[in-house]
Amino acid sequence: MAAVRPSVLAHAATLERLAQLCRRTEDGGRQGAIVTGYRELDALLPRGGWPLGSIVELLSAATGVGELSLLLPALCHLAQTGRTIVWIAPPYVPYAPALALRGLPLERVLIIHTRSTQESLWAAEQALRCPAVGAALGWPAQIVDKNLRRLQLAAEAGGSLGILHRPAEAAAEASPAALRLQLQGLADGLRLHILKARGGRGGLQWHWRRSDVVAVHSFAGAGA
Amino acid sequence: MLWLCIRLPALVHEANAASERAALERLAAWAYQWTSWVSYRLSAEAPQDLGLPPAPLLWLELGAGRSLFGEPTALLAQIAAALTHLGYSHTCALAPSPTAAALLTRVSEQRCTLTRAQLRARLTPLPLSLLELPAATVTALRAAGLRCIGELLALPAAALARRFGPEICLYLARLTAQVSDPRPAWRLPPVYRARCEFGQDLHETGMLLFSLQRLLLEFQGYLRARDCAVQRFTLELEHPRRPVTTLTIGLCAPTRAAAQFLLLARERLHELALPAPVRALALTAGEFTAAAIGQIDGFSNQTQQLDELGQLLDRLRARLGENAVRGIGWQADHRPERAWAQTDFAPEPHPPRAPAAAATASLAAAYNDAACSDAPARPCALLASPQPLAAPPQLLTGPERIESGWWDGTDARRDYYIARTADNARLWIFRDRREGRWYLHGLWV
Repeated sequence: MAAVRPSVLAHAATLERLAQLCRRTEDGGRQGAIVTGYRELDALLPRGGWPLGSIVELLSAATGVGELSLLLPALCHLAQTGRTIVWIAPPYVPYAPALALRGLPLERVLIIHTRSTQESLWAAEQALRCPAVGAALGWPAQIVDKNLRRLQLAAEAGGSLGILHRPAEAAAEASPAALRLQLQGLADGLRLHILKARGGRGGLQWHWRRSDVVAVHSFAGAGA
Repeated sequence: MLWLCIRLPALVHEANAASERAALERLAAWAYQWTSWVSYRLSAEAPQDLGLPPAPLLWLELGAGRSLFGEPTALLAQIAAALTHLGYSHTCALAPSPTAAALLTRVSEQRCTLTRAQLRARLTPLPLSLLELPAATVTALRAAGLRCIGELLALPAAALARRFGPEICLYLARLTAQVSDPRPAWRLPPVYRARCEFGQDLHETGMLLFSLQRLLLEFQGYLRARDCAVQRFTLELEHPRRPVTTLTIGLCAPTRAAAQFLLLARERLHELALPAPVRALALTAGEFTAAAIGQIDGFSNQTQQLDELGQLLDRLRARLGENAVRGIGWQADHRPERAWAQTDFAPEPHPPRAPAAAATASLAAAYNDAACSDAPARPCALLASPQPLAAPPQLLTGPERIESGWWDGTDARRDYYIARTADNARLWIFRDRREGRWYLHGLWV
């Protein structure tokens, strides 16, 4: 038995490697990920972070549960490497003093005002397609499958992160997005439910305690 | 010297001599990118009794740029292809003299001659009718038993001059490049204005696109010729009995790429509701800047990123309007709604990258600021204007008192609290201390 074990381990390693390769080709291969800033969340996501070059859907019944705070470390990182963060028709004023305090360079923040859903979609597609854009954030009231696919292709072309904030009911619809997360506000933070993760496992949950800073500290340790 | 002559029979259909001249000058400006000596002749200036349909001619001197552009025949092919792309039917010929090049545009094949010997050999079998001589002279030459140009060239010049006058000798000497054959050099205008008239009224912006593309490609040629770029140009749509519609198209960075101009102009036209049919289209540009020299940086893609961002901004502004694309900035004021402002977004180069570890540490430190520092907490989302609340939800922290602005008439006396709703959304609310009412002002997104 003792002689067999190493070869079994080698097989397992080979299989794991093959599975990884398959996942990577499925994903288009070239695009990496950007760490979320929360080590526990990174561990749950297939590529170890927010998948660049794809669409991420955040589904939430309420605004103000911490949906942006979840993204901010990654957005800051993208902006600090010189890429622009584009906000397409945000339903609120992105508040400059708070964003700057949290480390987002304001000169990399671009706000686009639109007059219709059609214009918002067009602007999102243009922004995602541009390699100088790190992430584009959208709040589509309604979006059909065809348009989601267009955005997905644009994000793939630009290597950018497309974030769509959608209502909780959208969970029932199928979507071509690479990552779909259901957010639910809790008294002490946020519960995050992975509905779909392309190239990984769905159904995982993460409880983010917003008041504690353990996750943020461990992020600092990981980066150093 | 080596002259390229371009015969443009299609331009004669342009409504009148003025528009023919305008079209020729547009092409002359466009052709300037390959040579510094461009000359043209209107169809009306051609000798009258030639017995051939007159057509405007454009001459380009290609000999001087040989070391720059390579073989003239290759350049000829390139220019011919560009002309076809612009949508002009044309015939090109190459010869050591402009007179000969003009003559060769009227033959059906072998229109390229590079040396005097080649030219002489090519001219020899051609008929006398191709010569730009008075019809009476040609008839007299025929009556004398001459059939082709070679036989005429073989005759002694003195005898010809006695019989037909000295003009014919000068003409033949110029034809065979024996004497200099000066052509007035056309100069680039300092302000660019190109206008293109349609034979009919166009009712849809889509129908303008072909002419627009042609105008922009010619404009690109002019910019290349002057080695400059523009950041702004104007399109004028002329309507019958109505003031012109003017579209000013601005760009983030000076550029001279027709494809980019077309993309922006198309967006603007797409948005435009035509007040009346369009009869003519004009393009004007007066401010030129030095073209940005595209330098390749082997270590970063910074310049490329800036260009791409600039192009994205141009596209967004063209379609959504100048004010649709904004940045945000910080302002020193205690009132939350005045502590921020919209700014003009301008692409900025990225500063040299800090070491990764330091960047991450500063990022995490900044991120912790909201929770750990003494700075009062502010939400990332602010409402455009405070919304009245019937009753405050559950209060978590507070109050933070803000009293400010008594000097400018928008006095604020508020107590701010962080509150939580039933579905655990966190709100930033305040109680107005003068009215005693509650307002929602922000969200902890």
